[in-house]
Amino acid sequence: MEEHKLVRRAMRGDREAFSALVGLHQRSVYGAAYGITRSEWDAADAAQETFAEAFDKIGTLRDPRRFRAWVSRILVNKCNEAYRRSKSTISMAEVPEPRAVHEFVGPEEGLDLMAAVQMLDDDHRTVVVLRYFRDMKVDDIAEVLGCPAGTVKSRLNRALAKLNAGMRQQEGGREREPAVYLEVAR
Amino acid sequence: MSRETMNCDNCRVLLEPYIGGDLDDTQEREVAWHLASCDECAAGHADMRRLTADLRLLGDSYVPGSTFVVPSASARSRVPSGRLWQSVAAAAAVVAVVSTSALSIPAFAEQLPLPISREVAELRQERDALERRTGELTDQVERLEVRLKNIGGVQVPVVDTAPEPLPAETNDAIQRLAMDFIKAQYSRDTDALRRMATDGLVSRMDERPSDYLRQGSVVFAQMTDVSRAEDGGYLVFVRLTDDEFNDSSYQQNLTIIESDGAFLVDSADMDA
Repeated sequence: MEEHKLVRRAMRGDREAFSALVGLHQRSVYGAAYGITRSEWDAADAAQETFAEAFDKIGTLRDPRRFRAWVSRILVNKCNEAYRRSKSTISMAEVPEPRAVHEFVGPEEGLDLMAAVQMLDDDHRTVVVLRYFRDMKVDDIAEVLGCPAGTVKSRLNRALAKLNAGMRQQEGGREREPAVYLEVAR
Repeated sequence: MSRETMNCDNCRVLLEPYIGGDLDDTQEREVAWHLASCDECAAGHADMRRLTADLRLLGDSYVPGSTFVVPSASARSRVPSGRLWQSVAAAAAVVAVVSTSALSIPAFAEQLPLPISREVAELRQERDALERRTGELTDQVERLEVRLKNIGGVQVPVVDTAPEPLPAETNDAIQRLAMDFIKAQYSRDTDALRRMATDGLVSRMDERPSDYLRQGSVVFAQMTDVSRAEDGGYLVFVRLTDDEFNDSSYQQNLTIIESDGAFLVDSADMDA
């Protein structure tokens, strides 16, 4: 079923339809939250709170075809809240994680790429995540972030240039590793 | 900008929207021409294509450990916060997890290291068992007797799903109430809806009227006989076709209780 039909059902109080939407969006919402917050736990909280607020307020959504952008706006706000919370919280001890919050199922290089994304500064990280993880148009990102589309474009270009440079550096590092090993072994 | 004026700086700025298919035809042609004649920009284009493809893949590469929770209808405003979501595992979540897991992406499934591969194998077994059970239930449903019944002047196919049939008088009264309630939803007759509802449902309708008021015309595709709920109430399920949902895949589940000798609708939930 097309997504906007599920959204219409959810807008009429159909919980099953909303659950199906959660199923469709949960990976990209969690992935985007993890990219922005850089913390598995904050990402899980932000994603859960995003879906909860979306469920609570879906009746206020005017155009069902804008669901993706609308959820992304909530997500950015929740990530900002998580960031503020983490800044105001003083950790007294390292709490052992009971189990992994997520499972990574992509190619191994993806872990390096996520690390590179997470090293970008806040503005660049957010536009990259919204553009590629949430598959949003530049104009929609501009609306969510409250800035001109030109700003989004320039941030995207700068962010991609940094990521490209970072990934090339990592690839170069990997290629050099065997040579270093041989030198040590000799 | 013309073919002659496109330089490397202009091209680099347009590479991202070029790859995303967001340029107009003229700009797209100009970038393509430049790439065909400039090795440096062509190499930059190849790098960016690979990077953006990897980024798009990356967004869906993290599978959350638990499915996120949809709050119950009665807890719309009491949103679970913190890390509560970890401890909840609804049965329905199994379906959602399977449908969005590596099982649906064979390329990923092939790459998965242990123990995920083992989990995938177990999930496959569970899925096969669920499919077998679904087949059995489908056969069972097809064997159910369907008969036409006149309810409130409308001929409705009725399915006998109740294990212990209720007295005909009770069954008919509740089915009639269910039909009148749904008709009032579509005629947006709030006074009639209030008369047929318990106080609890009235307050929920006042709080979120859009959840209960429908639009357009409705056809009653099928209705079940009434069955008893564990709490002593009554259940009736009505399959509908309306202007929006025209594949008979929309169902209303009504809970009805008896109060002072009258039947009242206590809940009316949509089901897909």
